Amino acid sequence: MMKPVKILSVDDEADLELLLTQYFRRKIRKGEYEFSFAHNGLEALEMLLKNKDYDIILSDINMPEMDGLTLLTKINEMQNPALKCIMVSAYGDMGNIRQAMNNGAFDFATKPIDLDDLSVTIEKAIAQIDYIKRMEAEHQQLEGIKDDLAVASQIQQSILPRIFPPFPDVADKLDIAACMYAAKDVGGDFYDFFRIDNDHIGFVMADVSGKGIPAAIFMAVSRTIIRTTAIQGMAPSECLTRSNSLISKESYQSMFVTVFYGIYDICTGEITYVNAGHNPPCILKKNGTVEELPQSTNLMVGILDGFEYPEATCKLEPGDTLFTFTDGVTEAMSVDFQMYSDERLHQNLAGMAADSCQQIVDAIKADIATHTEGAEQSDDITMLVLKRL
Amino acid sequence: MTTTIQEQENQLVAIMEGRLDTAAAQQAQKDLEPLKACNGRDIVLDCAGLDYIASSGLRIFLNLLQVAKSQGSQVIIQGANDYLRQVFNMTGFSHLFVIK
Repeated sequence: MMKPVKILSVDDEADLELLLTQYFRRKIRKGEYEFSFAHNGLEALEMLLKNKDYDIILSDINMPEMDGLTLLTKINEMQNPALKCIMVSAYGDMGNIRQAMNNGAFDFATKPIDLDDLSVTIEKAIAQIDYIKRMEAEHQQLEGIKDDLAVASQIQQSILPRIFPPFPDVADKLDIAACMYAAKDVGGDFYDFFRIDNDHIGFVMADVSGKGIPAAIFMAVSRTIIRTTAIQGMAPSECLTRSNSLISKESYQSMFVTVFYGIYDICTGEITYVNAGHNPPCILKKNGTVEELPQSTNLMVGILDGFEYPEATCKLEPGDTLFTFTDGVTEAMSVDFQMYSDERLHQNLAGMAADSCQQIVDAIKADIATHTEGAEQSDDITMLVLKRL
Repeated sequence: MTTTIQEQENQLVAIMEGRLDTAAAQQAQKDLEPLKACNGRDIVLDCAGLDYIASSGLRIFLNLLQVAKSQGSQVIIQGANDYLRQVFNMTGFSHLFVIK
């Protein structure tokens, strides 16, 4: 059953009480309206403070103790947009009526009260109150979703490795830094790295198609499948061929993920990798030259079960740095739709041969921020940097 | 971006112009929907006027390919500029689509 609309009538003349209960008797009997009565502003205010669920105040203006205009001011201070005041005054008392309207009254009626007209006014107020309450409920729902998103964002960030240096026992041989800045609350990019055995570190840079929640869910699935497959120690080619087979089965509506997966040999600096549709990483040589690894011609992961991913190798000499990233870096848009570009990235990297991985990540991020100043972040920005010391 | 579909004798041609980024993807997917009734006729995606494609755009192409293949149709990508060609090569699209 619907809750009755609670109406508080405030008038120092007792005959109004009789008039209202008589006129609205059917609605009262059916439980649509529920009337309470106060006889001056002060009494009304006490009732309002005690019972917070009144919907409509029907108040006379001229009353002892506290008049209707003062009561209206007090009600305004309660800041409840779903509480409506209908003011009642003598016919021709336009000054007070105008003041009441300017002070936020919903509407007014004049004495002697035309009850048919008042009934229309009350129904109009009820429609407004319903609307406001519905909006408040939707607003609350949205706030709930926003809270959920904030939690999801924290969960997503927490499944990315964030402790640096990640492998303290080889911190003198290998420097690693990484970051992921999602364009929305949650993103579709991820990086990962893990120890495979004493001498081998696996690392992943990946970008899921699309953005937001669908991408984030697919990201979590992909990251877990790749990590659990990789950690068994198989070669990158076999790892991605297997992961692809598993992810293809999970892929909904042709979602896919571009992946660069490499295994780094801590002793020799050699990297065995597979590039599955990901933009090519660069190697920043000790002398400041920047070389791009060859373009991938392999399929992205998640599209075609059975695709075989061929392996390639490269090598870091002491002092060389591998810079892996997603296209959120090079395609970061400025306000006038200019991309950050591979050229600008290479130019910047060229001056950082002596820097630590964290310095490189911070400096590139700062330079992207300068480039995109004033523009909305259009894609997730993710970097993973690995340097042979 | 705009998408225009032309029904020719043995094939369906979609002429795509502008930037197929994430913002445009949803509309493009709707616009390409009629191609899914290809019934064995080949589908040509005319990309000569397409400046940019984001991953959400690639996804639409893949989705279309799945449906087309199941009906025995080929999907041909034609007129792509250098940037698009690079994306299609890098993502292995050249293994899946006929690129002209």
